[in-house]
Amino acid sequence: MSTIATAEREPVSQPTEPWYKNKKLDQLLCFWSIPVFYNLFGLVFVPLSWMMPPRAPESDLAGVVEFMQSPNLLIASTILILSVGLSAVGNAMYAIQMKRMSVSPVLRFAFIAGAMTGAIVGCLFPMFCFGLGAFREGYSPEILQMLYDFGYLSFIGCLGCFFLNWSCLALAILLDKNNILPKWLGYYTIWQSVTEIFAATVWIAHTGPFAWNGLLAFWFNMVLYVPWQFIVYYCIFQAIRKQPESELYNSGPTPRAAYA
Amino acid sequence: MTISQVGQAPRTRADYLPGDHGMWFFIVGDLLIFGVYFLCYMVYRGQNLDVFLYSQQFLSQGIGVANTIVLLTSSLFVALATEAVREHKIRDAGRLLSLAIVLGALFPVLKMVEWIPKISAGHTPGENLFFMYYYVMTGLHLLHVLLGLCIMAFMLRNLRQAAQPDIKFIEIGAIYWHMVDVLWLVLLAVFYLMR
Amino acid sequence: MNTRGQNILLWLTPVAGLLFLVAYWLFPAFAPPLSPTLSPEEVAAFFKENLTAMRGVVIFGNIIGALLVPLFALIAVQMLRVVNSSPIFAYAYIIAAGIGITAFILADFAWGIALFRPDRDPQLISLLNDMAWFFLVAPVGCVFVQNLCLAGSIYLDARPDPVFPIWVAHFNIVTGLLMLPAAFSLLYKTGPLAWDGSISFTLRFSTFIVYVAVMFLVLLKVTKQQVEQEGVAA
Repeated sequence: MSTIATAEREPVSQPTEPWYKNKKLDQLLCFWSIPVFYNLFGLVFVPLSWMMPPRAPESDLAGVVEFMQSPNLLIASTILILSVGLSAVGNAMYAIQMKRMSVSPVLRFAFIAGAMTGAIVGCLFPMFCFGLGAFREGYSPEILQMLYDFGYLSFIGCLGCFFLNWSCLALAILLDKNNILPKWLGYYTIWQSVTEIFAATVWIAHTGPFAWNGLLAFWFNMVLYVPWQFIVYYCIFQAIRKQPESELYNSGPTPRAAYA
Repeated sequence: MTISQVGQAPRTRADYLPGDHGMWFFIVGDLLIFGVYFLCYMVYRGQNLDVFLYSQQFLSQGIGVANTIVLLTSSLFVALATEAVREHKIRDAGRLLSLAIVLGALFPVLKMVEWIPKISAGHTPGENLFFMYYYVMTGLHLLHVLLGLCIMAFMLRNLRQAAQPDIKFIEIGAIYWHMVDVLWLVLLAVFYLMR
Repeated sequence: MNTRGQNILLWLTPVAGLLFLVAYWLFPAFAPPLSPTLSPEEVAAFFKENLTAMRGVVIFGNIIGALLVPLFALIAVQMLRVVNSSPIFAYAYIIAAGIGITAFILADFAWGIALFRPDRDPQLISLLNDMAWFFLVAPVGCVFVQNLCLAGSIYLDARPDPVFPIWVAHFNIVTGLLMLPAAFSLLYKTGPLAWDGSISFTLRFSTFIVYVAVMFLVLLKVTKQQVEQEGVAA
């Protein structure tokens, strides 16, 4: 076969069925990692380490020191650092549905970039901060206070990447002519992306409703975010189920590759 | 939906739902979210009345009223433009919409005229709870205005370029802009007028 | 489509390997690696004594880390040729690789900052040193997920002539599992699981080096097959 050809051609292959019965197995395997991921995070954040609900910015120094040096915090930090890779799988689910929409690819690529950045600054780094204090004794209270601030601020106040991500998702849903995800979800996602902007106040306020544990900046944001997270994954699951087999790459006589 | 379909489907004007369900869902939800913020504001105001009353004096009612006139007039033109589209007077609608956009664009300008001297004078969001509320809520509203201006620009493009204007889209944009209006009126009352 | 760019990127991997050997020979600062049990004063003293060697490690480490990006990108591109129902494994791979490499480079930065002003308060130097090791541990979780995604896509490849041979999938799972215990190095200051221990350091890094070398050879074969099968210009 000549290595220089004028055009690409599809690989010549016999029509075959894949060995697995459910053609959407790859999407489903990835999907079911999501409850594992979120439950793990939930268990680690709350009962294991009490990182969440967030403690007050104005906690007294002794309280901060005791919290930052608790061994459970170190275990929590380790587990979360280990599992942050699963966030990549969860985020890929959105990107795959965005691929099916009639919108420009730029939206899903911006989303992918935002997912990478957000995982580092909004998830991994805060976990380090909480673990560092618990890792070694002897750090001065001021250093522990700084790590405490860094941890909560970067986790709750991480706005930019997630604002970008949810805005891309919302825009993609609203502009999509294929109606992969429902339009009302697009509007709800706009609110979700705006809650990221609400979180900006945590960088300023120490107490009151706008602090990182405040009624508006945290709790009301949770009221908007938690249902949205469940709903969006439910809608994605429905979208996977309803995807016609003809659209799948591994159906049909000659399998097609994606290349993007 | 096109204009011809509008004329056929509902029998009376009262039967007809302008815009679409998605936008109404968004409007109701948005109003609810702002409602929660207003409620919290009132509660915290009750707890810190002296701080709030003291800080309110620094707001300029004049610019607040000017912004109100700007937004209300802009909304009026949007409503007139929507009527004109329904009556197939596309050119008139385009002109009215352009006026609405120009007026609406004055709002962010006036906001900057209001905010920049204030911030230079030291009244930043971090100063006290009142100013945090003020900047957060008027800032959120400003974001809505900017988004509304973008939507209206797309509406104008639709009027000018499409063979048949998309009446549903025009209505959606108009409803959104009216909501922005309503939110501003409440903001005006709560922050500027209620002393 | 022309695959010349792909080949150029692929051959950057041996360049990374070469730089690694050079750095290892010139700057043996981490042979053996710093023990987690050292007190802040001892850490600060170590940094001051081995300033040049550690700076060499930092700068080279930065470049080597960046030079590994093409390898992961190439694997992602070949994963896009794999036929599952969707490119979901490839997308997850890209995101996980991005997170892992960023964390690795941040580890370098943390050391670099500690070395920049060695007269700093020893507590701050020790903090930066700990931070660097935390950042070095983090990619393990990402690499494990990446490897699972690659293995998953290979196992579910519906092509009659699969892109990757199936042993690559087994290899990815095994190497992932070998590196995974290093994630628990944060819980121990001594023993094989501590960050200077035989499992968390020696096993983990030697596995990674073997992994990169093997995947390089695999990709050589895969890209050659791509040219033959799809008739693209080489």
